[in-house]
Amino acid sequence: MIYADYNATTPLDPEVRAAMNEALDVTFGNPSSIHSAGQAARRLVDRARAQVAGLIGAAPDEIIFTSGGTEADNLAVLGVADAATARGIVTSAVEHKAVLDPCKYLQAKGHSVAFLPVDRDGRVDLAALEAAVKTDVALVSLMLANNDTGTIQPVAEAAQTAKAAGVLVHTDAVQAAGKLPIDVNKLGVSLLSCSSHKIHGPKGAGALFVRRGVHLTPLAYGGRQERTLRPGTENVPAIVGFGKACELARARLDADARRVAELRDHFEKQILARISGTRVNGGGQRLPNTTNIAFPQLDGEAITINLDMLGMAVSTGAACSSADKTPSHVLLAMGQTAAEARSSVRFSFGRDTTDEEVDRATNLVVQAVKILREARP
Amino acid sequence: MSDRIAIAMSGGVDSSVAAAMLKQAGHSLIGVTLKLQECQDAHGSKSCCGVDGITRARDVAGSLGFPHYVLDCVKDFEQLVLLPAWQEYASGRTPSPCLHCNERVKFGLLLDWAARLGIPRVATGHYARLEKDEAGRPMLLRGCDTGKDQSYFLAGLSLDQLDRAVFPVGHLRKPEVRELAKAQGLPTAETPESQDACLVAPGESYAEMLRKHFDAPARPGEIVDETGQVVGQHDGFHTFTIGQRKGLPAGAAARRWVKAISPRTGQVIVTSDAGELVDTEFLAKQVNWLAGELPAQPLACSVQVRYRHASEPATIVAQSDGTLHVTLKTPVKAITPGQAAVFYDGDRTLGRGWIG
Repeated sequence: MIYADYNATTPLDPEVRAAMNEALDVTFGNPSSIHSAGQAARRLVDRARAQVAGLIGAAPDEIIFTSGGTEADNLAVLGVADAATARGIVTSAVEHKAVLDPCKYLQAKGHSVAFLPVDRDGRVDLAALEAAVKTDVALVSLMLANNDTGTIQPVAEAAQTAKAAGVLVHTDAVQAAGKLPIDVNKLGVSLLSCSSHKIHGPKGAGALFVRRGVHLTPLAYGGRQERTLRPGTENVPAIVGFGKACELARARLDADARRVAELRDHFEKQILARISGTRVNGGGQRLPNTTNIAFPQLDGEAITINLDMLGMAVSTGAACSSADKTPSHVLLAMGQTAAEARSSVRFSFGRDTTDEEVDRATNLVVQAVKILREARP
Repeated sequence: MSDRIAIAMSGGVDSSVAAAMLKQAGHSLIGVTLKLQECQDAHGSKSCCGVDGITRARDVAGSLGFPHYVLDCVKDFEQLVLLPAWQEYASGRTPSPCLHCNERVKFGLLLDWAARLGIPRVATGHYARLEKDEAGRPMLLRGCDTGKDQSYFLAGLSLDQLDRAVFPVGHLRKPEVRELAKAQGLPTAETPESQDACLVAPGESYAEMLRKHFDAPARPGEIVDETGQVVGQHDGFHTFTIGQRKGLPAGAAARRWVKAISPRTGQVIVTSDAGELVDTEFLAKQVNWLAGELPAQPLACSVQVRYRHASEPATIVAQSDGTLHVTLKTPVKAITPGQAAVFYDGDRTLGRGWIG
């Protein structure tokens, strides 16, 4: 199988697996225990915390481990909204559901929430942001890079604007981490979410960077772990794997990004040349591994299923929304019609993608399109 | 691409075995489970049969090694099957939703969806067989397991739909299907029968489920005997069907049956004379004829007036308006408006009409 859905999830790195095995088999203690077995586990979690902090330029004590990116996003949005006196939230229309849905929940509870529009490239309108943060806003939540299109948002500029208005900024960096160099200080954000399984770590671990001095209300109660912001015994093996994955991602980020960008560009060029009418969704600066391509007159779901039958894994949008027939909210927000959005497929490559795979992938897409064009209408 | 088939998988043993047979025959296969209802619509049902079915179907497809997808048909199913069924009950008739589901959903929506994917044929686990006549046209035959034969439910499919249908278990008997499932270690080998129980919570009538679903008012009224004398009251005539005995007030007559339903007056008319329930003739409307042109001459064949009914010899005469006048050789009990009349020549399905 050719796996071209790295934005959905990534395979576990063998070095990550080795690190996790130690935590699973040898160092099984509870990090909260005072005895040596507990201390050994605590040291593993400490080391992982430093590794995660290292990937994003944070201090280790600013890392809160969570069950994943979704929980980190929820903790940021709901935690700030509850702790702040200001009632407003500003976010964008193209966020992941892990940000959009808690924002909608807050809206239903009486908070005012602005969902900022984006242009045809998928970039948020900074003028609209500047206008929106003026009154009674507690938080701006703007993703660093979009999962569907790879479009990179002007988070640093947005953070400057928000800071000037005294508003906290959260960025969902679940797709950007490990693919772009990230420094929370250069970005100027107060909160940042990332996830383990998008960077060759295990599922079930994520982190929220919480800048020192930023006050949040937890989502759950019952222990002193993670500065009481995330109580409950730590998922030590997953956290250890996440830490190792961050260390690896940091070490190979530049080389990986350069190589995968070449593969992606080659793939994109081939598809646009060989399949008439195709075009790329989203523009400006994009993640190096992602391309979202529209196949006019065809159905993205039909392409996805045909590619699955031919042995290639791709996606028509966020993995969580594949069960319903509504087209990508990201493409709709970019001004596309429902038909245009439905004709689109996301291809996302990664660390293990080879030149040869990309050539085969191109042929398979051409073959799938041929099948569909010849299909009974 | 003619070897590509989409198998509709309910999560039951029949469609699971059908899938296994197609996979073994070397077809390029995808499994599809139709999502027909939202879980919260289950109206107090303890389990969500739809979700259980999806889980089991996915398990079978995974163990056999082909991909499985869920096709969300909730809104279409409501419009194409549930709403017409409720409208039939609301007009005092007894609908046949399983025929509509096959004609409009399984071999309608699903067939179209597969065709758009470049998958020309759709298979199901129905007990029915397909053969070709001399001209190469499909003939729908009864399943070999006479107790399970489901050709009745498929008799409304067009020749084009039948041409693109595949019924892998039609020549098998149910025990053989179960044996095959066990022999192959399919996760659904022990799945209990769920014959036509789509959407119905235990202890609830289909008609009442539909009424609640569409939030329609019940139409209470009188229960009257043949002389017009009131013998009781009912909570809504939609819960009655011709020939029914249950739910009628005991009277001087020990046994009563529903003889007719009058949606205009809201009355349910009962009889204590079983002889009043039988008929020897009826009209079949909106005929789907599968054996060439409608017969120009009176045709001797057999007819089945409901699913659980041994077919009866009959003579049919096509009317100028395309309806069929059906005369039964011996009287048949409870010929019910809204049900399908399906015509057979031996094992061959000739067509279907709706009892007027």
